[in-house]
Amino acid sequence: MALPTAIGTVVIGGGVVGACVAGFLADEGQDVLVVDEGRGAGSSANAGSLHVQMQSRFMRLYPENVPNMELQLPLYPKAVAFWRELAGSLNADFDLKMTGGLMVAESQAQLDFLALKAERERRLGLDVAILDRAQLDAIAPYFGPSIVGAELCANEGKLNPLLCNAAIRTWILARGVVLAEGVSVAGIARSGTGFAVTTTRGTVTAGRVVLAAGSGTRLLAAGLDPPISIPAVAEPLHMNITEATAPLIGHLVQHADRMITLKQFGTGQIVIGGGWPARQDAPGGHAEVELASLIANASLAQHIVPSIGNLRIIRTWAGLNTSVDGMGVLGAVPAIPGLFVAIPGDAGYTLGPLSARLVADVMLGRKPGEDISPFRPERFE
Amino acid sequence: MSGFVINFEGEQVAARAGESVAAALTAHGIRGFRVTRSTAERGVFCGMGVCQDCLVEVDGVPGKRACMTVVDRPLSIRRQRHGAALAPVSDALPPATIEELAVERPELLVIGAGPGGLSAAIAARKAGAEAVVLDERRSPGGQYFKPVAVAGDDIAPPDAQHREGLALVAQARAAGVMIRSGVSVWGAFQRLEFAATSDTGETRRYLPRAVVVATGAYERAWPVPGWELPGVMTTGAAQTLWRTARRLPGQRVLIAGNGPLNLQLAAELRSGGSEVVAVVEAAGPATRAPAAVATMALASPGLVAQGLAYQWRCLTGGVPMLHDMVVSAIEQGPSGLAVTLVGGGATRVLEADVLCLGYGFEPSNELLRALGCRHDHDGTRLVTVRDADGQTSVAGVYALGDCTGLGGARVAAADGTLAGLAAAAGLGHAIGPELARLGRQAASAAQRHRRFQQALWNVYRAPALAIAQVPNNTMICRCEEVRFGAARAAIADGLADAGSVKRATRIGMGPCQGRYCRPLLEALISEATGKAPDETSGFAPRPPFRPVTIRDLAGKP
Repeated sequence: MALPTAIGTVVIGGGVVGACVAGFLADEGQDVLVVDEGRGAGSSANAGSLHVQMQSRFMRLYPENVPNMELQLPLYPKAVAFWRELAGSLNADFDLKMTGGLMVAESQAQLDFLALKAERERRLGLDVAILDRAQLDAIAPYFGPSIVGAELCANEGKLNPLLCNAAIRTWILARGVVLAEGVSVAGIARSGTGFAVTTTRGTVTAGRVVLAAGSGTRLLAAGLDPPISIPAVAEPLHMNITEATAPLIGHLVQHADRMITLKQFGTGQIVIGGGWPARQDAPGGHAEVELASLIANASLAQHIVPSIGNLRIIRTWAGLNTSVDGMGVLGAVPAIPGLFVAIPGDAGYTLGPLSARLVADVMLGRKPGEDISPFRPERFE
Repeated sequence: MSGFVINFEGEQVAARAGESVAAALTAHGIRGFRVTRSTAERGVFCGMGVCQDCLVEVDGVPGKRACMTVVDRPLSIRRQRHGAALAPVSDALPPATIEELAVERPELLVIGAGPGGLSAAIAARKAGAEAVVLDERRSPGGQYFKPVAVAGDDIAPPDAQHREGLALVAQARAAGVMIRSGVSVWGAFQRLEFAATSDTGETRRYLPRAVVVATGAYERAWPVPGWELPGVMTTGAAQTLWRTARRLPGQRVLIAGNGPLNLQLAAELRSGGSEVVAVVEAAGPATRAPAAVATMALASPGLVAQGLAYQWRCLTGGVPMLHDMVVSAIEQGPSGLAVTLVGGGATRVLEADVLCLGYGFEPSNELLRALGCRHDHDGTRLVTVRDADGQTSVAGVYALGDCTGLGGARVAAADGTLAGLAAAAGLGHAIGPELARLGRQAASAAQRHRRFQQALWNVYRAPALAIAQVPNNTMICRCEEVRFGAARAAIADGLADAGSVKRATRIGMGPCQGRYCRPLLEALISEATGKAPDETSGFAPRPPFRPVTIRDLAGKP
């Protein structure tokens, strides 16, 4: 497929964020080209958690980011609500379930940590509660004997990203978005009042460019004139999926002190993830699963929910999460008129469509429905 | 005869000690095993642990492959229903780490105990290397030898092919090769790290200095409407029932496919007492390719004589041979499977209890691909890039036999000797004059058997599966029950790579991990895009290459 030589907007990155920015612009009649190095970008590896409560993993790994995480936290429940809205407006089945999320504790110290966390989250507008074991058993009677209680966040849920990605793709193609997959961007030069985007399939001139390439945004932004600093890093992560079983785990399950996410899709399959590392030999290269993560992640899942020990893992895969400073990077780049950044934040898939909506609103000259000034791209200068 | 009673959903089934659950149930006339999401029944299909269609619950443990589960005690068996509830478990095992797994560091790890793997281990051992062979089956020998697993006065004794396998295993043991049976290698990671789980649920890490991969092949799909019905199985599956358990797949058996294995199966089942309805061969009779037959006779007169013997036994056993015909549809009728055959402008319908499909093989190359070994695509299947000694593009990784492309058992055995010697030499062992001579003999045997194999393919040359002609209602992904129509719709929608079609349609997302649908999907995509398939056009290999329970993943002795 030949690329257009000129277009209104080029969106670099065809994951959930880039695709949705393109879709929202195209909804308003704008002509948009999406360039993606892979197919469906990082979103093709997503595991479908709708995160709202602060993830203990990020708090442990990046304690210095916690203030920023709290700054973005009010956006999370709105992002989940926006997913539901999107399902409605696209008339699509995302297998989206608002089941709530449980972060389990195995000791009083962990429960105390959750209580403290819940108190702060409640002040920021989240619907959270601390449950003891008896209360937990009443709503989730599948945990192992070591679990003493949990934090319940009613704003959380899950969806099937395969269904979402397919529906979003169908929507943007129907709106006339040009989707160029398997095409890499070699560089972005400023040209007149716009840009010349050099790709592996030729150069495209565009009035505006949106960087929605996750951690790949860092190099693209650094290559601009003037160079823009967006310190996004890739986190290669490990995921597992089992064969199907009868409905068992309703909630999105996490742990106060260990890396795990555990949830069951409508297919009956249980997806086990939570941030165990995958290996990425070269920046931008494919991530590969590691045996150590498979053993640790799956056995931890069985420790928390013992009955899944008899389920077979049928597949593992690795994906790339993008982490910046605990917050997203959203909006116009003042130093370069016509350049926009759309990196959603720690829980990129959850925040994806709403982040895309906010950036698209800025591009359309509308006032975004949320204050996005904390997420401004120039904060790293 | 020693035996046990199997309780199959309340029914008492007499089983022989050592046979598979699949063999015992099949002999009892039970054809339906797994129950799919759409509540369809599936039966024994591949018979070798690949397809996951014969899943049963054994003594309350779900997800067991009937074809790989050995009857060694009285068993309680139930059909595996898709999405069945799990039994509650009250004890929680502590989380495990990789450091807690037992680690083995053999000098040379050989994966697969067929003729190729055993020959490699023997050669390496003779050169002084320590060789450990892992094999998924309960007894070594692989899919070619298929050792007899049952004993008793009424059990037909081992034939020449069995005896050859026993001799090779004995030779390996005498040479000091360590053979571990019932061990499934499901993970291969960079830096020669392997994960393997035994049938007792113990997982080990293997960190060898070098590896020989000899994992063989499995039967290619023959996608026609109804190919997923119980009673339709591969030729290899039926042969395993007979050769390992001395059980017949059914009374009236129709055998269809392309290649000499179908003829051998017909002769074997006939001798066991089945009525072979017909052997349906896609190719014309061998008399049409006299030059190729002559080449075969010169390269390997013994094999040609064996082939003639099978043909003679079929002929005298009253087995009709139908040439230039293929199976085009299968339906379940009131008194058996109604199998439609087409060819030469004619259509015939034959009825049988069991239909065996043997339309060629697909290499089991997932370990090699996971290790990053380069592959070429010959238009039909992937062929591992390797030198004459079996060295692949990855240092320390040797590969041979049908997992690297196809060539048959004789080529595998000869190449095994070469790879075993090369691996030992690579590990620093001296190859003395006697072993060097063994290597030269193997090289010449490999050449001779390749000539034979090439001629054999010429004799059995037949039109390839016309992927464009496969009807939309035909199953492409047996696991996820996705049909050709859905695959074609996704491709028409602009999805031009296997991964995207997989994510959009669920094709290849089931427990067999796309082993049957992948080549079909690649062919569909290639046809639509005009782009020849290559090593990246299928699904990326994703461990575990055999589904493994969470409990067994971190299983300790």
